[in-house]
Order: sequence, then C-alpha cells, then structure tokens
Amino acid sequence: MNRVQRLLNGYGFILPSLVFTLVLGVYPILWALRYMFYDYKGYGTPVYVGLDNFERLMRDGLFWESVVNTFVYAGGKLVITIPLALLLAVILNRRIRGRHALRAIIFMPTIISSAVMAVVFFIVFNSYNGILNQLLLKYGLIGQAIEWLGPDYAMLTIVLIAAWGAIGNYMLLFLAGLQSIPDDIYESASLDGANPIQQFRYITVPMLGPVLQMIVMLAIINSLKGYESIMVLTEGGPFGKTNVMFLYVYRLLFPVSTGSVIEQQIGYGSAVGFASAVIVGAITVLYFYLSRKLNDIH
Amino acid sequence: MKINLSRIILWAFLLAVAFLILFPVVMAFLGSFKTNAEVTAGGTIFPAEWQFSNYLYAWKEANFARYSWNSLFVSAVTTAATLVIVSMAAYAVDRLSFPGKKLFVGIQAATMFVTIGAVVLRPQFELMIDLKLHTSLWGVILILISAHASVFFILLSYMKSVPRDLDEAAMIDGASFLRTYRSVILPLLAPGLGVAGLFTFRYAWNEFILPQVFTMNSPHLQTLTVGLAALRYGSSAAAQTHIMMAGACLSILPLLAAYLIANKSFMQVTAGSIKG
Repeated sequence: MNRVQRLLNGYGFILPSLVFTLVLGVYPILWALRYMFYDYKGYGTPVYVGLDNFERLMRDGLFWESVVNTFVYAGGKLVITIPLALLLAVILNRRIRGRHALRAIIFMPTIISSAVMAVVFFIVFNSYNGILNQLLLKYGLIGQAIEWLGPDYAMLTIVLIAAWGAIGNYMLLFLAGLQSIPDDIYESASLDGANPIQQFRYITVPMLGPVLQMIVMLAIINSLKGYESIMVLTEGGPFGKTNVMFLYVYRLLFPVSTGSVIEQQIGYGSAVGFASAVIVGAITVLYFYLSRKLNDIH
Repeated sequence: MKINLSRIILWAFLLAVAFLILFPVVMAFLGSFKTNAEVTAGGTIFPAEWQFSNYLYAWKEANFARYSWNSLFVSAVTTAATLVIVSMAAYAVDRLSFPGKKLFVGIQAATMFVTIGAVVLRPQFELMIDLKLHTSLWGVILILISAHASVFFILLSYMKSVPRDLDEAAMIDGASFLRTYRSVILPLLAPGLGVAGLFTFRYAWNEFILPQVFTMNSPHLQTLTVGLAALRYGSSAAAQTHIMMAGACLSILPLLAAYLIANKSFMQVTAGSIKG
C-alpha cells in the first residue's frame, strides 16, 4: 500500500465514526458553550447577555443545593459500593464453591435499565403500600410505615438503590484486577503466617494500586453524573431533597414533563451544565492528586 | 471450630448479598402475576392465583406490544450500525498510520468522560428537526449510534489481538483494504463483535432519557423504558401496580434471558475495559 492509499483507507475507514462523533457528540457541546452566554428560553431570538447566567448561578440557591445533594448522593453511593465491591471481589476471587453463580447473581443488576429498576423500586419503597413496609410491618420489625421516599429518607433510599445497581459492576472490575496478582504470592505469604487481613493490607492493596485508582476514579465520575433513576423515582423531590446537579440541568432544559415550577431556561441550563462539568472535572483532578500514592507503591 | 465459624459468617454474608440483589427482581416477577388488590394489600409472597392475564393486558391494552417493538427496532439497528462503523474505525486505527490518528482517538476518549448533561439533547433535537427525523425513531437511533466511544475501545483491544500476518498476507495476495476488512478481519473479529454487540444492545435497550425527550409528544414511538416510566406518573398509577410490574418484567426479560445463556460474555466487556 503506498502513502496515498494508506491515507485514503485510513481516513475513509474512520470517516463514519468521525462524522457521528463530531456532529452529534462534539457539536452539541460547542453549541452549549455558546448558548451559556445567551438568554434563551427555547423560543424567540436568543439575546447575548455576557456573564449574566454565571452571576445568576452564583446566587441560585437551587443550584448550590443540588451541588450539595450531588456530593451526598455520590459520597453515599461510593462509601457503600467500593468497600463492598472490593470485599466481594476478594472473596469471590478465591476458589470457593459456587463462586461463578454468585458472581453472575451480583453482576445481574448491571444488565437492567436503571429507569426500569426505578419503577420496581418505587413499588418496593412506596410509603403507603410498598412491599418493604408491608413485610417489615408484617414481621413486626417496625411499628409504623416508614416514608422511604419522604423528606427524611429519600436520599438514603436512592443511595441504596444506586449501590444495588453498581456493586456488581465494580466487583467485576476489581476481580479483573485481582486476577493479575499471581497466586504464589498469597501462598508464600500464608506459609509465612500472614492472616487474610494482613494479606489484604500488604499484598492485595499495593499490588492493585494503579487499577484501584482507576476503578475508584470511574466510580466517582459515574456517581457524580448519574440522575436517571432519581428522575424516575423522585423527580428530585420531595422539596428538592434529591435534586442532583445533572437532574437540575435536565429540568431547566425540559421542564414540561415534570410539571414543576422551574421554567424552561436553555441559556441558563447550558451554564449550569457547564458549571456541573467543571465541578466533576475539578473533583477528578483533586482525586488524582490525593490518590497519587496508590500509583507510586507499585 | 474457628474455621467453621468464619465459614459460617462468610456464607451468611454472601447469601445475604445474593438475597438483597435478587429480592426486588423476584418480587417484581411474583407481583406481576398478582391482582392489583393483592399487590396493594401485601402480605403474600407468592400470588394467591397466578394472573397470566396481567401480561395480556400489558401487551394489548397498555401498549407494551408497541413499546417492545420500538425498543427492539431501536436496539437492533443501533447495534448493527455501531458494529460496522466502530469495527471499521478500530481496524484503520490499529493497522494504519496516518496524521491525526492520535487526535481521533483522543476525541473518542474525551467523549467518554466529558459530560454537560441533558443540555446536548437540545441541539441534537434541533438537528433532527432540520433533518426531518424528529417524528420517527431514526433521530434516537442516530444519536445512540454516535455515542460509541466505549464500544470503539472494546473493539480496539480485540483488534490488537488479531494477528497481523493474516491481513498482511491477504493484502500481499492483492486484496484491497476494504476486501481484507470484509473477508479476513470481520470473521476473525467475531468474538469481539459478539461481546461489543451485547454491550451496545444492552445500552440501547436500557436507554431512557434520550427516547424520553424525543418521544414526549408521540406515544406511539415510545420505548419500553419510556412507556413504563410514564405508567409510574400516570393518573391511574395506583390502580396499575401489577401492570407496572408486568411491564417491568417484559422489559427485563429479553436481556435476562440473554444473560442466563451468555453471562460470561456480558462480564467480559466490563472486565476487559480495565485490562486494555
């Protein structure tokens, strides 16, 4: 193949992918980067307003509340998901009976749509005739129905649901990492009298270092981004208690479906989307800085 | 004695986790066969009488036949087109060197991580209006196809494991680059295409927000996820809990069946994504 042929074939073969990515992936982001400087409500002529949207953002209590909610949601999800997933991976990496079946069961939630599961979990956690309250009442574990989706517990409930959907995914990622650690290291350590906890501390964690760092980064980004199941389950309510950043962005862009008090604000919504992306990026960078030791040890 | 105790704790923990994972899915399955009164009153685990008619109602009256067809159409077309587009790109990126290749890979990687949320749906929707595709499911399909960065990296790692000798030999024998792609690369890439296809199909089948926005005003175009979520906020939601569960099971079932047969392939995608 000569040079011209190589270029023609190369560009020809990436062209479909490139066109799709540029037109439907990159262009919409550039579009938003432009309209975040405009006052645009979805109809009429957009008006350039400079940094007005960002001034408004600074004063927008709903936005900052949603930032706090996002941190609580993502933090809660991570605190439950990561240790449990790592523990399960360590256990199911050993040659115990039924490990393949258990892995398959724990991974199962990842094949189900989070929107569909949100509907199912709504039926489970519903305050008045939900399955969970029925069972807890029946066996006398609680005296009266708990409002799982009420103001006090809604955040806890959506965190638990998010963890339910995520544990299998991260367990599998950890398992893939663990399988690269040779068995003989563990064998010689246990001959030397190291107990499982010591083996975990002095072999697993250091040898998993860079992989662990990557997986936790993925988990952080994913949990900051997620809002699909919250949208179906609580729509950010009650009283905005579960309104996370990207759900707020959605509601500014498409308020019709929710019948909420929020007005359609495309320009401002773009600014909120941009600010949310910057927050996610900043946390990712901060995480990389704080977790750099994980990468060193190896 | 000590070993036995730790074993008991270990197994109690594992079984508790398995129980918690299975509980909502099993309850949805069992609930889908109950009457609404039985679901609402609670107190039973198994249906007093198995109401197969719930599924008939969901399928015919509650439009789930339509939703299922729409989901299948969207997912099948998205999967087929994504595999063609992405395998071509992965082949060229792995086998040829050309200026801008690194930039292309960089753009793909960036689209995986950078997100500004639902804002992008607005320009995407306006584009589809310009193309007159907003009144059909093709707009949804094109956008789903465009989000193929992770499939690209999956196939790229499979591409790396296809021995170069084979396609180089074909080219020396006079086959063109396109011909080699069709006759040598695609067959050898089959396992990767299978795994990537499952991944894409699952993603398209489960997608909610995109079809939700695009089909807000056209119920006949709604997919399973959108139709089901609409029941949750419908005026008769309280009277239809059993139908909601039947609908949920209808949308879970095809993927669950595939998962029971090929759960190793499903897991391979996830596991492979950090090895590459």
